[in-house]
Amino acid sequence: MSEKPSLEVRNLKKHFPLHGGLLQRQTGTVRAVDGVSFSIRRGETLGVVGESGCGKSTVGKTVLKLLEPTAGEILLDGVNVTDFSPGQMWSHRRQIQTVFQDPYSSMNPRMRAGDIVGEPLENFGLAHGKERDEQVAALFQRVGLRPENMRKFTHEFSGGQRQRLGIAKALSVNPEVIVADEPVSALDVSVQAQVLNLMIDLQEEYRLAYLFISHDLGVMRHISHRIAVMYLGRVVELTDKRSLFTRPLHPYTEALLSAAPVPDPTKKRAQRIILPGDVASPAKPPSGCHFHTRCPYAIAECKTIDPALLEVAPGHQVACIRRPLGGDLAPLTPTV
Amino acid sequence: MSILQVRDLATHFFTQDGVARAVDGVSFDLNHRETLAIVGESGCGKSVTALSILRLIQAETGRIVGGSIKFEGRELTTLTEEEMRGIRGHDISMIFQEPMTSLNPVLTIGTQIAENVVRHMGVSWKEALDRSQEMLELVKISDARRRLDEYPHQLSGGMRQRVMIAIALSCNPRVLIADEPTTALDVTIQAQILDLMLELKEKIDAAIIMITHDLGVVAETAQRVVVMYAGRKVEEATVEELFAVPLHPYTRGLMRAIPRLDVDAEDQGRRARLQEIPGMVPVLTQVITGCAFAPRCPFATAQCSAERPPLIESRPGHLAACWHTDKVLEAAA
Repeated sequence: MSEKPSLEVRNLKKHFPLHGGLLQRQTGTVRAVDGVSFSIRRGETLGVVGESGCGKSTVGKTVLKLLEPTAGEILLDGVNVTDFSPGQMWSHRRQIQTVFQDPYSSMNPRMRAGDIVGEPLENFGLAHGKERDEQVAALFQRVGLRPENMRKFTHEFSGGQRQRLGIAKALSVNPEVIVADEPVSALDVSVQAQVLNLMIDLQEEYRLAYLFISHDLGVMRHISHRIAVMYLGRVVELTDKRSLFTRPLHPYTEALLSAAPVPDPTKKRAQRIILPGDVASPAKPPSGCHFHTRCPYAIAECKTIDPALLEVAPGHQVACIRRPLGGDLAPLTPTV
Repeated sequence: MSILQVRDLATHFFTQDGVARAVDGVSFDLNHRETLAIVGESGCGKSVTALSILRLIQAETGRIVGGSIKFEGRELTTLTEEEMRGIRGHDISMIFQEPMTSLNPVLTIGTQIAENVVRHMGVSWKEALDRSQEMLELVKISDARRRLDEYPHQLSGGMRQRVMIAIALSCNPRVLIADEPTTALDVTIQAQILDLMLELKEKIDAAIIMITHDLGVVAETAQRVVVMYAGRKVEEATVEELFAVPLHPYTRGLMRAIPRLDVDAEDQGRRARLQEIPGMVPVLTQVITGCAFAPRCPFATAQCSAERPPLIESRPGHLAACWHTDKVLEAAA
């Protein structure tokens, strides 16, 4: 692997100040992303999965530099872009593009579809006029839309077609990395399959690196090569998808997999792990391991020790003090 | 024994673009103490079916134009609004997808449960509040007494949905309609709520209609399933039968389109392609002569676009509206 990762993130943090009181003084901090590290190679999908408020979308926005990171480093194709000003970032924007969850609210309703998809080409001075239109027509075809539809407005497209438009726009400038934040969550199952297939085809064709953010474990297992599980701003487990689904080592991952309903009535699981309580607020995360308040395997030390993400098996990182280096990887026994 | 009978229900909306046939002749029975799932994608008419049963279709935009809904032998479509109010929240109650928009933000939790109890059970406010506390304990909200005085914004999404369930069950309904009750919730919270609903179902003497787009939720909660497409019932079977032998090409397509989390979809080391259902759902203002699924169906013939297929019981207790179930079975084998 001599190739540099397309996207690398080292100890990334994004904190938001909380203001309150008469003078709007800072009263606290939301640690939305609190020390996240990963890298993605060309042609690879890294899935980021977690529940609301775990920081997965903030990771996406921060690597796109739509939010300025509080600490840590972001490397795009080996270039450290962390402290780049918007002007310096400009020339690197082409390399990293994004697809949003709801393409309707992320597209100007008064622009024609062809202009929306072609806008980045003009912005980056890549193509104008007739040449632009030809490239846009080719992009339309590539994502499965008829080029005649270039004259239409976004409201004339269905949800799945709008997501194809979003993908075409992201592809237009020939990026290396695409950050996709819940790109199929708003779609019905039958259309979701179309969009996922398209994304896989495009990835293989252009060797795209995907940072694929989703809460849906089925979608994750389908599209990802490796998966990072986040809980309250931290990555608690990161490994290839097969290991994650067949041998989850973090108690949160295990509970998450056990909680998701399986579309097979013969597989009603005898013992489902039901986690008590709700996810804590990222403004007031629990001490030590953030998950200890809901963890069936927690021991006294979990309240005080902040677990580091350790590679306990080849390519399998987990942040749990009950999973020490060189330790036993067998299932844990509940402590409560 | 069935407690709710829906026959040829048709609910239409009158829009600028024409008449939208949101529910276009749907029939089913709900048996005592059973969980029936109604499953389908956006716009298939599953929620409108539920709203029609409770007569909650806004009169300015749409109405029930045909069919019958009988609850314990009593016809609901012809009741006056006042009579209907005696049924809603009492005999038949409903929980919605988004608990934040269905709870009143300026009333305490206690008030919102108690007002339903006072209306239907004719008890004093104090007794109703005691009943409210009992209900919060039933749905496993800790510190129930204190919670009675809290407002919806002070609760998490999962807790709010528990409150909705408490309100719905407060007057011992015979039928509980749950419209996507866990869709807005995170997966670990969804597991808590589904677990609670299944547990309560054993305790209370009610039948449940579970409306969902999620076949995982169907598999885990229902005994019987109705599949809807474009305002019509296309298939009905027990849950085991439906997942084992889906007879309608739409049902079969849906099941094959879901990315599975319990199996690795790989094809010689590469990620396998999901089975797509090509095209999209029809516009409901269009008049559909044949089978509504025909334009997307791999088994479709000329007959399919010309004649609407009747629901045929091709296996015991298993109905499907398809001219070519034999071909579907052949393809599955």
